[in-house]
Parts: sequence; C-alpha cells; structure tokens
Amino acid sequence: MSLDLSKLVGQIVDLAAGIKSKMGERQGKLEFALNTLKSSAADFNALKHKIESSKTTWLVAGLKESMDVRQAAAHCPDDSIVLASDGSHIDVDRHQSARCFLINIGMAQLQYGRNPGAQLISFPSLYFKDEEVAITSTDGRQIPIEGQLLGIKRGIEECHWLVERLNALGADLPVVALLDGSLILWRLAEQDYPDFVVRDLLIDGFLKYLNHLKQLSQRQRLAVASYISYPRSTEVVNLLRLAVCPHVPVDCDRNCSGKFEARDCDVVAGLLDRDLFTWLLSPGQRSAIFSSRSSVVTKYYGANEINFFYIRLDGEVARVEIPLWVAEDEKLVELVHSIILDQCQRGLGYPVALSEAHEQAVVNVADRQQFWGLVEQVLSEDGIYLESSAKSASKRARWI
Amino acid sequence: MDIKEVKNQKPKVKGGFGDKIGEVIETSSAEFTAQCYKLTEAPPLGSLVKTQDKFGEIYGVVYNVETHSLDPGRRVLARGENMKAEEEIFAANPQLSKLLTTDFRVLLVGHVEGKSIHHYLPPKSASIHSFVYICRLEEVRAFTESLDFLSLIMNARIPVPVDEVAGACIRYTSQAHSDPNAFLIKAGKELAYMLSGEVNRLNSLLKRLK
Repeated sequence: MSLDLSKLVGQIVDLAAGIKSKMGERQGKLEFALNTLKSSAADFNALKHKIESSKTTWLVAGLKESMDVRQAAAHCPDDSIVLASDGSHIDVDRHQSARCFLINIGMAQLQYGRNPGAQLISFPSLYFKDEEVAITSTDGRQIPIEGQLLGIKRGIEECHWLVERLNALGADLPVVALLDGSLILWRLAEQDYPDFVVRDLLIDGFLKYLNHLKQLSQRQRLAVASYISYPRSTEVVNLLRLAVCPHVPVDCDRNCSGKFEARDCDVVAGLLDRDLFTWLLSPGQRSAIFSSRSSVVTKYYGANEINFFYIRLDGEVARVEIPLWVAEDEKLVELVHSIILDQCQRGLGYPVALSEAHEQAVVNVADRQQFWGLVEQVLSEDGIYLESSAKSASKRARWI
Repeated sequence: MDIKEVKNQKPKVKGGFGDKIGEVIETSSAEFTAQCYKLTEAPPLGSLVKTQDKFGEIYGVVYNVETHSLDPGRRVLARGENMKAEEEIFAANPQLSKLLTTDFRVLLVGHVEGKSIHHYLPPKSASIHSFVYICRLEEVRAFTESLDFLSLIMNARIPVPVDEVAGACIRYTSQAHSDPNAFLIKAGKELAYMLSGEVNRLNSLLKRLK
C-alpha cells in the first residue's frame, strides 16, 4: 500500500506553522551573532587564546585569520582543467547468495579556454574476493564492508580515482580536483570502529591519496577541494558561543552542565554557519579560512589537516574544504575560489563538473535490478545454483 | 552536407565508399535510425544514404534529423543569453557535445545486389551497428536513373510530410545528373502520373522542384 498523504496534510500544516513562529526569533539571534562576529574579529589573538584554552561540548572552528574577512574572487584563469569525482554503490544484499558489492565512480574532466574539451567516464568495480569484502586485522578479526562502512569506502575510492586520473593527466594547465561532501571522515571516528579499520581506510587509504595529491601539486599547479552544498555545520557559530561565554576558562561541563537553553551562549543557539555568511558575504565572496578541530582531523590528518571556508553564491552559501597544503598557498586558494565560482555559474548554482560526475556515477533502481539479474544469469549459466531468501522472492513476486 | 561537397571529396574508406557519417541504432523492414558520429554533421533532408552487408547495399532517403539529449530525463537548457555567438556556448560548456546526440531516420527506397539495382524493399533490413555512408555522386546517379523509388516515398507513413521529403530528395538527387533541369522535369512527369487524381497536391509538389 502506498503512502496515504491525506493523513499527513494536517501534520505538514503544523510543521509550516512551527517554522514560521521560529523565524522572528531567529532574525534577532542572527543580528546579535553578526555583531558579535564583527566585534570579536577585532581581537583576534584573544579569541585564539580562548579557543586553545577551552573545553567545549561543541566543535569549534580553528581560527587562522580574522573572522570577518570577506574576500572577492580573483579572475578565473582563461585556461584550466576541472576534474570532479563522484560515486555511488550497490550494497551487499544479504538476501542474495553472491556476497559482493559494487562501487561506481563517475568522473568529469572539463577543460576550458583555447582548447575546450570534456571527458565523461565511469569506472564500475565489483568487489567479491574475501580480502575485498571485509577488513581483516592482523589477529584475524574481520569487519565486513557494508552499510555505512561501504559508504566511507566509496568516498575513499572517489579520491583514489582522482589520483589515478591526475597521474595520467600530466597537464600543464592549472587543475582543480573536486570531490562532493566532506574531506573529514567523521563517521570513522563517531562509530567507534576498531583501530585496524581506521588504519586500513583512513591512514592507508584516504590520507595516502591526499598525500599523493600533495606530491602531484609540487610538480604542477593543482589544488584539491571538496564542495558541500547547503552545509549544516555550526563550527563558526560555536566560535561565537565561545566569544560570548563569560567563563574563564571556558569549560562547558564544569560551568553549564544541565543548563540547556539557559546558557549565556544560547543567544546564538539554532543558527548555522551558512546563516551567518549569507548575511556577511556578498555574492562571489569567500569567508576567512578556518581549520577543523575535529578529533579525527587532529589525531590523524597531520599535514593534510582540513581547513575550510564558506563561499557565497547567488542562491546559497556553500562550504569548501581544502587540505592544509592548499590553504597555505594563497595562489591555490585563489584558484579554488575562482574556479568554484565559475563552475557554479556554468552549473546554474552547483559546480557543473560535480553534477556531471554524479550523472556518470548514479546507479538507479533499474540499474540495481539489472545488476543482480546479470549476476544471477552469469552464475546460472555456469551451473551455480543460487539460493536467495524467501523475503527477497516475496518482494519480487507481489501477490494478493 | 551539400551534394557539391560530396562531389569534391576523396573516399576516406578503402573500397570507394563515401563518407561514413553514422551508425544504425534501430532498424526495421522499411526504415532505420542512425546516430551521427558528429553532432553537427547530419545528412540533409532528402539525401541518399546507404548501408552495406554481405548481401549488398541498402539505399535509403533521409526523412528526419533530430538532435536531443542522450539521457531522455535531462533537458537541454538555453545558455547563451550573455554570449554573442552560438559557438561560445559549446566552448564555455564543453560537456554538452558528450551529452547530446544527433540521430537521423532513413526510409528504405531500394537495394543493390551486385550490379543490379532494385527499387523495392530489401529482403533483409539493415543490421544494427551497420555503418551509414553518404552515397557518392555516381551512386546517386545510377540509383536515380529510374524513378521507381519515388512510389516508396509517396506511399510512406512517416511523421514528416511525404511531399516535403519527396521534393527534397528530387532536388538533392538532381545535382548528380549532368542535366539537373532535365531530371527535375522527368521527376515532375513521374509525379504527375502518380498524383493524377490530386491536382492541388501535384501543383504544390511541383513548386518544390525548383
């Protein structure tokens, strides 16, 4: 039976009313937040010191330059290459007997200027060998790669294929390599995966590829960045919480434990970073560069420490994440800023290279069914008897 | 591509065929659809094209040319508001040429087996992935010595008006003859015989033969 929308209409009306009632209160908070940002920006060193001596319950952005920086974009180079990578996957289906998963990486390589050109390609990979479908520790413990872990692996493969492509490219034009989503593998830290999983995926995987990109950028003008549309981060708002906190030193557990919504810093509660920068920045401008102080970054990323800035587009504010070696190179930051702006203009609000990479990567429901159908067909042609679960069979043959 | 351009071209494929311009992607007994290799180099309406297989060559007349998105779920958007020339659109958006395709539909009008030209449908339709070639001048001349193929066009059920296709084909193929005017007159007489009961239609079609 499909969703009964008539039973939902009333509830959706209540949702709209709830949002409307909060909007007035929100505007007041935003004005206060902007004023706090401007006044705190004046005392950069004091705020920096406050951050370093604080113990907060929220993630606070690291301060690298004055918070109220509003940087216009440099002129986009006439000749450049944008290489974007995106991926999708078909997860392990425990109702099928063949244990495997598929990762499909889509890439778009767009060259602009005197020799315009485009390459749109996809690289589907099937993982089925014992050592491919699980991560194994030295003492024999195994964690199967599926669900959320498979999503993480897919993100790493997107970066892997960027490296492969850039190795083969050998361009003498400036190149910006783009990924979708965050460069910070939050979920590896949040989910308490065992160390050997973190080592396999992060240290020997993602960070290895970032290092490789860093080496490539020493030989050519190359920057790598990730793009997050409509971000929900609050790291800079949390900086403002710190700025208004009257306690010295700032220690949330000690000073404000159990005081939800009654804390001094709750004057900015509910605001997002994008709210701040929508008001602070003009279209085309980027914010100051901040650093990520998340535990996974400080513990593992080293020379690839993730920095970020916000960029104001016509319709929204996006978050751009860059490794430290890009952030510390003013020319590379300018390149990333101007190219992303240009990409969003060509892509009607979203970087066109990323949307084309997504189109190459996407695996829809029909693709999924065809894939499993092909697996069944090839196996049965080889005389391999397939079991699948009764639940799976009942979904395929719907009856009354 | 004008037939005069075909006249001046050297064969690019050994065996003396004309330019290879596309590949069959759908086929049936009376027609086929081909995808152009180059987005902007589709054969003109009414031109004579052919495919080849082990039985011989299948000839057809181009009756429809379409350019559209490769993915039916994605629409083409206007992009040139701030540009002075259409070429700038493709230069500024290089991915467009990979996302669009030009297809052309061909009505079969005969086939050649050995040295025999037949102006009726071939026993076997064009094969999928057959290459499609623009017919060379001498092939056009030889095939249209007899106008028997016209009835296949005039009786076809196609979404484009058959009179337009017939007119375009006669104009195109007349250029392959040493006396194009004489060919047009000959074709006009043939049409008068075929449309003897439809004076208005005949008049309208004859005006298209100039």
